Amino acid sequence: MITVGSESVLELDGVTRRYGGMTAVEELSLSVADGEFFTLVGPSGCGKTTTLRLIAGFEEPMSGTVRFGGTDVAGVPPEDRNVGVVFQNYALFSHMTVGENVAYGLNFAEPPGGVSDEERVAELLELVDLSGTQGRDPSSLSGGQRQRVAIARALAPGPDVLLLDEPMSALDAKLRERLRVQVREIQQELDITTIYVTHDQEEALAVSDRVAVLNEGTVEQVATPRDIYHRPQSRFVAEFVGDNNVFDGEVQAVDGDTATVAVSEETLRVSLGDWRGSPVSVGDRLTFCVRPEELAVGSGANRLTAGVTSSEFLGETTRVRLDWLGQELMLRTREALGGDVTVGFDPKDARVVECRT
Amino acid sequence: MGMSVAGSKTGSDSSQATEAVSDSDGADGRTRGRLREVIERRSLPALAAASVAVLVVVFYYPVSTVFVDAVFIEGRLTLRVFGDTLTDPFYFGELARLFAGDSPLAVAEAIRSGNARLGIVGFTAYQAALSTVASVLLGVPLAYLLARYEFPGRTTVRSLTILPFVLPSIMVAVGFYATFGADGTLNAALALVGLGPVDLLPSLTAIVVAHAFYNAPLVARITTAAWESVDASAVETARSLGASPLRAFRDVVWPQIAPSILMGAALTFVFTFGTFPIVLALGGFELATVEVFIYRLIRDLNYAEGAALALVELAISLALLYGYLRYEAAKAVESSGLRPQERRPLRPPSLSVRELLPRVGVAAYAVVAVVLFVAPIASMLYASVSGPTGFTLEHYRFLVERQTTGAAFQVRPGPAVRNSVLFGAAALAVALPMGVVVSVLTTRDYRGRTLVGTVAMAPLAVSGIIVGLGLLRGLVFGVEIGDWRLAVGGPLAIIAAHAVAGYPFVVRIVAPELDALDSQLTESARALGASRARALLDVELPLVWPAVVAGAAFAFALSVGEFTATAVLASGTGQYTMPIAIERFVGRRLGPATAMGVVLLIVTSVSFLLIDRLGGDYGGF
Repeated sequence: MITVGSESVLELDGVTRRYGGMTAVEELSLSVADGEFFTLVGPSGCGKTTTLRLIAGFEEPMSGTVRFGGTDVAGVPPEDRNVGVVFQNYALFSHMTVGENVAYGLNFAEPPGGVSDEERVAELLELVDLSGTQGRDPSSLSGGQRQRVAIARALAPGPDVLLLDEPMSALDAKLRERLRVQVREIQQELDITTIYVTHDQEEALAVSDRVAVLNEGTVEQVATPRDIYHRPQSRFVAEFVGDNNVFDGEVQAVDGDTATVAVSEETLRVSLGDWRGSPVSVGDRLTFCVRPEELAVGSGANRLTAGVTSSEFLGETTRVRLDWLGQELMLRTREALGGDVTVGFDPKDARVVECRT
Repeated sequence: MGMSVAGSKTGSDSSQATEAVSDSDGADGRTRGRLREVIERRSLPALAAASVAVLVVVFYYPVSTVFVDAVFIEGRLTLRVFGDTLTDPFYFGELARLFAGDSPLAVAEAIRSGNARLGIVGFTAYQAALSTVASVLLGVPLAYLLARYEFPGRTTVRSLTILPFVLPSIMVAVGFYATFGADGTLNAALALVGLGPVDLLPSLTAIVVAHAFYNAPLVARITTAAWESVDASAVETARSLGASPLRAFRDVVWPQIAPSILMGAALTFVFTFGTFPIVLALGGFELATVEVFIYRLIRDLNYAEGAALALVELAISLALLYGYLRYEAAKAVESSGLRPQERRPLRPPSLSVRELLPRVGVAAYAVVAVVLFVAPIASMLYASVSGPTGFTLEHYRFLVERQTTGAAFQVRPGPAVRNSVLFGAAALAVALPMGVVVSVLTTRDYRGRTLVGTVAMAPLAVSGIIVGLGLLRGLVFGVEIGDWRLAVGGPLAIIAAHAVAGYPFVVRIVAPELDALDSQLTESARALGASRARALLDVELPLVWPAVVAGAAFAFALSVGEFTATAVLASGTGQYTMPIAIERFVGRRLGPATAMGVVLLIVTSVSFLLIDRLGGDYGGF
């Protein structure tokens, strides 16, 4: 795990939280650097929202510590943690105007920058592109506008950390893409440490400085979006983030950075360059994966002959599903395919994600 | 249900007809199919029209005759009776002098001097205000407990808050006599610790407490619903922005529950303003409210004055309701309620003051609540089997004796039970289909939906006295239409009054459930070829069946416990029901009244269970 040392503003250290008999978060450790856009991503029930709530102070960990700027915040109530929270359902106070909503946190804190409350509200509404809506009723706004008001409200008192809990889930796809760009711009403009929770891996890759992939209450991998995509460290990450072709086989030979693996009746060569796990030796069960866009028709050191089963035209590319010795493979291509094809990949395009002796 | 309807159609055909259909070349079958289609297509509008007709005949027409009674005196149109009522200090106290044209300064002076008269209307408003305060004070803590704490039996307690609605008020009055009366359990308990006796009956205190018994659960119900729909995210947002728990409550929770508390208070005020059996039984004529006095005027055959007073009362009630509805519309809070707040355990997780203090309050409240809500019923059961020498069945024996040897003019228990059950069943047969049809009509989108809703729900706002009086004057005494004289028998009028009083509750229970159904369900059924009526029978009703059963139980229980309109209509006839019988007993001897109250409780409970059991079979068709 990458730690940014003294710069880290937020740390979770071995945090566990259970509900009844169910474990939501187990021995979870994270470290977030100042000004970082840090995303927690995973399927529902992976513990990402619980993690956010532990940071906000809505929940207390049963063991482990949460530290803000190096200080243990156990027992510190949410109102004293100086965090801004944005929920999926906006949670706007419907009995207040937009302006009153944004100004709410200023009841308890002086607006940063020595401006008046009114100026601060105007400033924030301008930041989220909603200037002049102070007097409006939240119910008169669209979903995207409401969520921007919620963001402005969370930012108004100048929090140390901004916490976003699936803020886009209630919006439609186009709007989601626009708003996530806007959120990222605001985050960079204010240089504010941001924890973003989402189940959408594409969204996580698009906006984050770093991504933590969570599964069943534990961290699978923390890395930059590019590393998460290209260098998954576990089978779960490989399958959860983007499409992937996963192969299981037995190691036949190891030659420096390259292993020869028997998969079904084929022998495939894969690179071990990025593998950070236990040393690979002959006889191990090895799991590796190859991205669909790295499977090429008619080229590559490893050659597989497979039959086309379906083909989906997606606009910029076509996703072709193949049947290779009973295993489904996915392929991204620009040309139309049919019948039997030969596809291949180079050893360096394969990522080892699991090795069992 | 749709299948059973189709089945009964074939079943009722003679075997010959069935053969004829199967022998025919299909043309006949097609005609029959078309016929059925036409019937199905028209059945909803037809049922709607029938419902409207029933409403007009047994509600709007009779109520308007009351109005006519008040303004047509000896064949002439006059507002004299109204004027007399408004300017009579007996009714309006010092306010009457204002209506009569006295200078406001003089009136203000009289009020300041401290010996202002309230008049009957003033007293009615005064006791209603006190009852409202008591109901809110007792109801809101219950809502807090139900909405914010988790404990075994929570859902049961929540369901029980509906119970006072259907508890016959006269039975509750008997329970109050058995608890707070001179020989009641309260005095017995006080005597044990060497205190008392206290004489609480008849008194304003008893009336206010009895009203709280009825209305505090109503306030609690409405407030709990609002409290439960408070979005935890909104509270958490406030906390994260710097608000303390108390401040977050004030800024986020309170604005959402306050309108509901106000709504509960407004409804309580309207209900207790129009109170009748409680005051009649616990206050007597010394502490008469408007309704009690109207009843007295009618009994003295002074219809014009009674009608005028009834309309004044109706005007005040409607003005209150309207004012409230306007306020509610303006204040409508959109509750997203995606994630409800988590309930706290009743057992404190730690022994800190912050955790203990609210729980101590809750415990203290629970004691008060048990005394108030459980004691009257328990005391009634106890009093029905106890006498000066301890356990006795003497009161029940009295009922049996009265049944076998009672004189014709005396109230006998047998006919009372029989009448109650018959009227209840008949009222249910009218109220249930009407309620379902009105529910359908008020949950569809079309022009005039609000009007239909208002017209259909108006009976909720009109007191039983007015309906009873209208039915008596309009239908029982007879109407002349040309050479025809239409007169309806007393029992039919009582059934009509009960049905009109009961069906709005069917609507109130069924309509929200229908409304919550995904409209795509009906659309799917219709796309598959079902008519609107078939879709209702095959898809919607089965899905809301529990609500329909609950509505039926409600309508029946309301009929069995109905007192006001029955008292007007059964006066001097043999059509008395159990509540009427209890009222006749309670004035003379408490023992038989409590025994009769227990009989009423048993009949009500058994029919509740029976309806529930019969309704339960529906799911298995």
